[in-house]
Amino acid sequence: MSVHKDFHGALSCCLEYIYKKYGEKELDMCLRQIARNVYKPLIESLKTRGLAALEEHWRRIFTIEDGEFDLRYDGDVLVLNVKKCPAIWHMRERGYRIFEKFCEHCRIVNDEICKAAGYNSSVDYDQDAGSCTQKFWRRREG
Amino acid sequence: MISCTEFILAYNEIFNYLHEKHGKEAVVDLWKYISDEFLQNLDELVAKKGIQGMKEYWSRTLEEEGADYEIKATEDEFVIEMYKCPSVGILRRTKHIKVYPYYCEHCKVLYSRVVEKYGFDYNLEIIDTNAGRCRLTIRKKR
Repeated sequence: MSVHKDFHGALSCCLEYIYKKYGEKELDMCLRQIARNVYKPLIESLKTRGLAALEEHWRRIFTIEDGEFDLRYDGDVLVLNVKKCPAIWHMRERGYRIFEKFCEHCRIVNDEICKAAGYNSSVDYDQDAGSCTQKFWRRREG
Repeated sequence: MISCTEFILAYNEIFNYLHEKHGKEAVVDLWKYISDEFLQNLDELVAKKGIQGMKEYWSRTLEEEGADYEIKATEDEFVIEMYKCPSVGILRRTKHIKVYPYYCEHCKVLYSRVVEKYGFDYNLEIIDTNAGRCRLTIRKKR
């Protein structure tokens, strides 16, 4: 499957624009709207099938994009370890300017998807290294 | 990570968000920003090679995106006959999203700003927004 990775650069540019023009809060709201609307089927799937839905999602997109990653379960927590983020590496290879808060979009989008489905998430990233660890687990009631 | 395969949906949602919050002018301002800040690769190709540079740029991007198109390039004129725009195809196939009604207009703003600087006239004829059919004609100014 052919993919047009320059879209990562275009996304970075869009996020940078919203941040510069409207500020951090608006960028957060915009990303949360993207999460709720674009990832609606993933939210539904996460609700009904649990973490297997997210596991499949990440495996599919990181494989298509040729990222270096591994997925594992640590007890009830799904752990996505991204060793070489395809977005960061592609933008760097092409010489695109990378929005200083680019990796924040992963944290915010994951958070909104998970919240809507009754899950929690965390993202620990190093944007300069192009690596991160993302975790997902079911929200405990009470 | 918002995958490059999901970018068109996120892009469309950013347009929806900005339009709903700040009006169409805010969306057009975003397009101008992308043109000025992100399309340096097209800019450099047109500056160095003119119409040949346009052919190089769009041949690569449209192939990667899987477009159904035809390019005609002569000494004075560059034409893209788009039979099925891949972005429009994605938007129309994705039933759970709201398609931004002015989506196709981004191509008018993004690319005209680049090529007009180098003495070309730019004309985008949007023939059928549902089918993703359009004709882009760029001509050397006399």
